[in-house]
Amino acid sequence: MIMDNFEFAPAPPQRCPEAYGPRANNNQKRCFQLAQAFFKDGVRRARERNERQLDLERRLEDPAVGPRREQLWKLGGMSEAKYLRFLRTKEELSNYIPIKTIGKGYFGEVKLVRKKQDGKVYALKRLAKTEMVSHEQLPRVRAERDALAESDSEWVVKLYTTFQDSTSLYLLMEYLPGGDLMALLIKYQIFSEDITRFYAAEMIMAIEAIHNLGFIHRDIKPDNILIDREGHVKLADFGLSKGFSKSHDHSYYRELLQKPAPPNNKPANRNSVNLDEIALTVSNRAQINEWRRSRRLMAYSAVGTPDYIAPELFTGQGYSFEIDWWSLGAIIYECLVGWPPFASDNSYDTYRKIVNWRQTFFFPDDVYLHPNAAHLIRSLICDASSRLGSRGGAAEIKAHPFFAGVDFNSLRRIEAPFRPHLESDEDTSCFPVDELPQGEGFSNGPTNTNGTNGHQATASNFQEEEVTPEMCLPFIGYTFKRFEKTFM
Amino acid sequence: MSNLFSGINARLRGATAKHADKDKDSKPPASPTTKDGFLASPISVKKSKSSSNLVVSTKLPPLPTSPSLSQTISLSATGEEILASYRLPKPYPLWLNANYAKHIVKGNFMTLSARPKVVEQGEWIAHQVVEHWRNLWNFIQVVYAKEQDGKSICNINTCPKMSAGPNHSYTWLNSRYEPIELPAHEYMQLMQRWISGKIDDQKLFPTDPQTVSYAPNPSIANTTLLTGGDEWIGKRSGFPKDFASICQTIFLQMFRVYAHLYWAHFVDPFYHLNLEKQLNSCFCHFILTATTLDMLKPSALEPMQPLIDLWAANGTFPPDSKAYEYANLKAGNRLLQLAGLA
Repeated sequence: MIMDNFEFAPAPPQRCPEAYGPRANNNQKRCFQLAQAFFKDGVRRARERNERQLDLERRLEDPAVGPRREQLWKLGGMSEAKYLRFLRTKEELSNYIPIKTIGKGYFGEVKLVRKKQDGKVYALKRLAKTEMVSHEQLPRVRAERDALAESDSEWVVKLYTTFQDSTSLYLLMEYLPGGDLMALLIKYQIFSEDITRFYAAEMIMAIEAIHNLGFIHRDIKPDNILIDREGHVKLADFGLSKGFSKSHDHSYYRELLQKPAPPNNKPANRNSVNLDEIALTVSNRAQINEWRRSRRLMAYSAVGTPDYIAPELFTGQGYSFEIDWWSLGAIIYECLVGWPPFASDNSYDTYRKIVNWRQTFFFPDDVYLHPNAAHLIRSLICDASSRLGSRGGAAEIKAHPFFAGVDFNSLRRIEAPFRPHLESDEDTSCFPVDELPQGEGFSNGPTNTNGTNGHQATASNFQEEEVTPEMCLPFIGYTFKRFEKTFM
Repeated sequence: MSNLFSGINARLRGATAKHADKDKDSKPPASPTTKDGFLASPISVKKSKSSSNLVVSTKLPPLPTSPSLSQTISLSATGEEILASYRLPKPYPLWLNANYAKHIVKGNFMTLSARPKVVEQGEWIAHQVVEHWRNLWNFIQVVYAKEQDGKSICNINTCPKMSAGPNHSYTWLNSRYEPIELPAHEYMQLMQRWISGKIDDQKLFPTDPQTVSYAPNPSIANTTLLTGGDEWIGKRSGFPKDFASICQTIFLQMFRVYAHLYWAHFVDPFYHLNLEKQLNSCFCHFILTATTLDMLKPSALEPMQPLIDLWAANGTFPPDSKAYEYANLKAGNRLLQLAGLA
């Protein structure tokens, strides 16, 4: 309680934010959050910078460094300076030359782009703000940004920067030219046990890496397992990642389940495959691939595929890190069997099957699985409380006999089973680019922010923001810039 | 304002008497720029087209500070007397009440301001200019943005002059280099345009990663960087000769806006909108940075001197900071006492 004091002008008896207009109140929110974010980011960057400085000084003390000391110091200083310039740079779409669309989802698309300043290629993901807001996807995109920004793992796709304009959010990520596991499955239909073991082991490392950051991915599926230029795995698409922050929570699956069965949500323009009606056998693999391709199209819908999602996410009993291990089990199943365990021709049936997994899960008779493989899958596709990994985390799964002899720590150094054959740094042969609309610039959005040199842009912003504040506010704190060792 | 008081202030902060000037606080600390068509420059340099007689030269001179002098004077004057010399309105503004001078962050603000040893000075100044400008811009937006009815919180009726309390008002130079008085919201608009123009100018604030440099390490023997007489801050990183003086002007302009926000808008709207702690933290960080980097002269701080005194006295400014050095602890302690906190 603050005493009234005649030496100072009295504070108003009550704060009256309602006395101000909506514009002022919106600006208040922005100001409030940005000030908070400024100090949070500032302190974090200062801390990281100090760590780099200490590290540099330690290295300088090493007598073996000798005459290279000056060079070390110089490189350290220059990389800090490059980072400061990067922070100062106004990020906008026009800084990038679009090359090709390499992915598409309901909320946006991913393009291969070349950055004008450094001439390097990146994957630029664009998300439409209006769609995000109307579908309440803000927690998801925030989750993705947080997960990627905090991660510094070789198992996770690297996020370089995020920026926004009036219509879109952008995530600039490293380009992984090897495509995704989905494309490999389409190409090879099934994997041998050895190959499956390789991808499963790498997926364990990747999932472990994000769990160590405190994130649950919640949407691990073959489309999110990306392949780098060496053929190794990296995890992407953190739209559903659940950090411990409350703002990431979402009950959207539960709502979905409460809806009646859709009359027909088959992807348009595709011959659907009625999996319930046909017996799933090895000889029907061609049809499975047809189904896989149509599932790619499903990624363009707001819902996405539920095939790999654990039942506890739908039923609302609460869930934890082990839901990602269920997804791993489903993917291992698909690699060895040829289709995911609960495949159906519509999402509703898939949900139903997953929730009733005790009755619906089985291995097809005509597919031979080694008992270790079958045991591993059954230990992952099972009740959360008895699931492998639910107590001992990744270590429990690594210790399973299926992985006997795998040296998890040297995985990334061994030769991957499929290495992409790349012709250039813009090679997109591993992506289904032919199925994607290829337009100049980004579709459904401003193709570029042309004609706005920085000066005019800020000056006019000052007078009249063309961005409505409602569109802006939720995206505060979204912007991120990573310190890169490659600044050297 | 009488010369007596500004004289005392100047001496307390160790500034030379030259800086104590007449009623209008329109000191010429930096060179004006002339290219803009309309109102040319934010700095009221009377009838002077050159920067020859200005304080700032290309190489930053050490700012006049003399803590020992300040201390001797403090020994003889009481906190009450020093506060009186500031000619503050009575009762004192709410923001000088230590109970309302609080922050959204704890800990040492200097961790954000101190230049990393490997980073070249010009690069660091550029970084700080842009960060502080982004911060301040958000506060300006609150008072500047127009509601549907076309009215803004800071308008010609609330603030017919760009001022910082009863003793300080600021003028802008028109294209004929005549100082003119402007309503605060117009002043802020011109200032915003001017600063954005500078920050967005790639020649002035380059963002090309190819031209970066680093700060020499004196302990590494081979590092020889001095190229001779013609050196300036940021030269090695590709910043132009007038970079430092332009940054000083930007900092001064930002200071003026902060001072106006405190004197005219601390309660209406910032207190009402629950933003006063945010304002305090951003301003505190701003003052520490600007003084540490020699971007603001102590004499320019005058309208906000009592808050600086207060933050030095209550431990917000670390004792080894320039801002602490420029503060008068007795005045600050007296303010704490008056707020019932000492």
